Amino acid sequence: MATATTGRGGRGALGLLASNEVGLALLIAVLVAIFATVNPGFTSPFNLFALSRVMGIDMVIGLSMMVVLVTGGLNLAVGSIGVASVMLGGWAMQVAGVPVLPSMTLAVAFGAFLGWINGQLTVRMGVHSFIVTLATMSLFFGAMIVATRAEAFNALPRSFVDLGKLRYGGFVSGMLPLALIVGLGLWLFFNRTSLGREILAAGANPQAAELSGVRVNRTIVVAHALSGALGALAGLMLAARNGAALPSMAGHIGMGWLLPAFLAPVLGGTLLTGGVVSVAGTVLGAAMVTIITNGLLQLQIGEFWVQMCLGLILLAAVLLDRARSVIAERRRSVA
Amino acid sequence: MTEPVLAVEGATKSFPGVKALDGVDFVLRPGEIHALLGENGAGKSTLIKILTGVHLPDSGTVRLFGEPVRFRNARAAIQAGISAVHQERNLIPRMSVAENIMLEDLPERFGFVDYAAVNERALLWIERLGLAIRPDQPVRSLSVAQMQLVEIAKALVLEARILLMDEPTASITPHETEVLFGLLKQLRDQGAAIVFVSHKLEEVFELCDRVTVLRDGRNACNGLPIGELDRADVVRFMIGRDERTAKLGDKPVDAADVVLRLDGVATSLGHAGIDLELRRGEILGLYGLVGAGRSELAKALVGIGGVTAGTVTVAGQPAVVPDPTTALQRYRIGYVSEDRKGEGLILIHDVGRNIGITIWRRLSGWLGWLGEGRARAACRPFVEKLAIRTPSMGQKVGNLSGGNQQKVSVAKWLAADCDILIVDEPTVGIDIKTKTDLHELLWELASSGKAILLISSDMPEMVALADRILVMGGFRILGEVRNDHDYGRMSTAIMGHIHAAEAA
Repeated sequence: MATATTGRGGRGALGLLASNEVGLALLIAVLVAIFATVNPGFTSPFNLFALSRVMGIDMVIGLSMMVVLVTGGLNLAVGSIGVASVMLGGWAMQVAGVPVLPSMTLAVAFGAFLGWINGQLTVRMGVHSFIVTLATMSLFFGAMIVATRAEAFNALPRSFVDLGKLRYGGFVSGMLPLALIVGLGLWLFFNRTSLGREILAAGANPQAAELSGVRVNRTIVVAHALSGALGALAGLMLAARNGAALPSMAGHIGMGWLLPAFLAPVLGGTLLTGGVVSVAGTVLGAAMVTIITNGLLQLQIGEFWVQMCLGLILLAAVLLDRARSVIAERRRSVA
Repeated sequence: MTEPVLAVEGATKSFPGVKALDGVDFVLRPGEIHALLGENGAGKSTLIKILTGVHLPDSGTVRLFGEPVRFRNARAAIQAGISAVHQERNLIPRMSVAENIMLEDLPERFGFVDYAAVNERALLWIERLGLAIRPDQPVRSLSVAQMQLVEIAKALVLEARILLMDEPTASITPHETEVLFGLLKQLRDQGAAIVFVSHKLEEVFELCDRVTVLRDGRNACNGLPIGELDRADVVRFMIGRDERTAKLGDKPVDAADVVLRLDGVATSLGHAGIDLELRRGEILGLYGLVGAGRSELAKALVGIGGVTAGTVTVAGQPAVVPDPTTALQRYRIGYVSEDRKGEGLILIHDVGRNIGITIWRRLSGWLGWLGEGRARAACRPFVEKLAIRTPSMGQKVGNLSGGNQQKVSVAKWLAADCDILIVDEPTVGIDIKTKTDLHELLWELASSGKAILLISSDMPEMVALADRILVMGGFRILGEVRNDHDYGRMSTAIMGHIHAAEAA
């Protein structure tokens, strides 16, 4: 009888997950249909190119938050890290004359380093990453402003800026396939490597993971470093789009990224309590957010209305997250 | 016959894919202790949850003093005079013992909580249960057993006429059980009606007046007087056939091959002067009362809580174990925790991921690459060996029954293939069949050359399995008993050590 219970429960839970991603995909299709009908300009190659470019960037921002959410923590400093890394990369390219690829690698490595600092502080001080990254968000951003005197690097090498103009099939920005490749890499990491599995285990139940021989602290540091590296990558993508490395490109102290950063994974079904990841969901979540933003802006709806709308969607997504945990809890109590 | 205080007629409750209860009858009278028995998944917990307002029945009636009732939530049941001790922990760790006990009925003065009264009233029940804790102590500082007793105090303080106890003795010692039973009998004699759920049949025969057994969601028997039954009858009701006793053959112990040795070990958790020798092929029992420091010693051995003095020797070499990772990888020591849900399993992950966690590192190739098929294939033999009932490797462990969950937490350590296995309360809250399986498994493991340190508060289990029994108390070893598998002699000898220490 126990088998019967669990059999159904398992399929139900799986169904729930699937429905989450399938649901997002359906919602996206509906949104696209609506926007395309209301505003023919929505499907113009020009708009689709702009849309896919922002979409790619938002996906990487979302993935950057996702890898820390998985540990049951969060990273408020994603934006700060992204900007600080890009300013370093921009300086290397424009001022120090380092070739483009090494400069980009340097920026990503620096992002990973800043994330590593977040991870180390979280683990050593034994406090929640909320407080640690709230502090480092300010710290990293302030240090970047001091170091750059708040000046932009707007004479970046041609070959770097051209990356932002990459275009496939006439209207797909190179940013989108890049983001999808990053997503695929993360999926493989969490599902097909021992370290990725350990991060998930530690995120779900740190005590049990620890007693089973997982170095829980290390998983937290790795996740934060990975988050920093992805933040830096998102920053590079944004700088390539803008054609310049700007201190203000993630808003005040980098907070401009927080909404898309949380929206994508939470919409996608990555549990805020840790231990469950959905890479595909995060990617779809980011796609949906970008489409809504773009579609509403095209309809000449004021930016603040769009912000309000995104805020509402985040609340709805959190409600959904709660509902999922509660349903998971109920199903568990059956046995 | 007296009027029933509580009568359930034809209660039916379905969950997706399973009928948990199928027309169950249950009648509870005042002044009786009524045993509710059944294997895991038989429907006991579902019935309890209907009576406490957690679930509503799909059909059937519940009558309280003759009046039909439907409890929509837990508070409604409490207000109707039904109080319960659940299997799951329902304490708030950060709040004090007294606050937890008095939570449902906090005394107030001028709109503020009257803490003097809270502590005073809680202390009364702490004392009646023989607990040596302060009312203002935070709950998280308590041991598992102490928490269990606080949970019981929380139910008793409501002085309800109907008391439901779901496995109240699962994690407490015989001494505490004795105190609890004294108290329950007293309440019964004052007219309270008590439902007692337990897997320990000895307790049922000692305590209860009547018995109702559920099997597969139906009544196997309904309110039979316990005097008319013997153990075999009850087991037959529960499992539908006769009980199988664990087959434990001969098991050689190589006295010369000491795999783990402690000399004068002290730990930061408070142990002092611990000497211990564990041999290849041996099952060494560690028996003690609550707070004896057994689980804590186990944790110190796998690197949680440091060894501050003395030496630990593993396989002849001096060993320093800084963390469980080193314990597993270098010294091949594994610890099966008593706290299955908190420390043993990752409930939201699937069976494959729970079992595989100890071996991913070993299995993975370049860059830590490890395919899902390979990972699951490595776990499959242990699922089969332990006969874990799961539809697939992809099933969430939280969806399995308690017994199967326990098997998963053991399977993880079988997969790890440790030389030294510390097993902490392996059969708490486990049904008869699974318990027999696990006993045979531990015996077989030892026979195959593993060394097992068995921590158990289940005296019959200890006497059945251990070669030698170390008695612990106050974070020290009080004495050693060489087990001759005679229950009477052994329990006398063990309690002798404990009482000698108490007297000293």
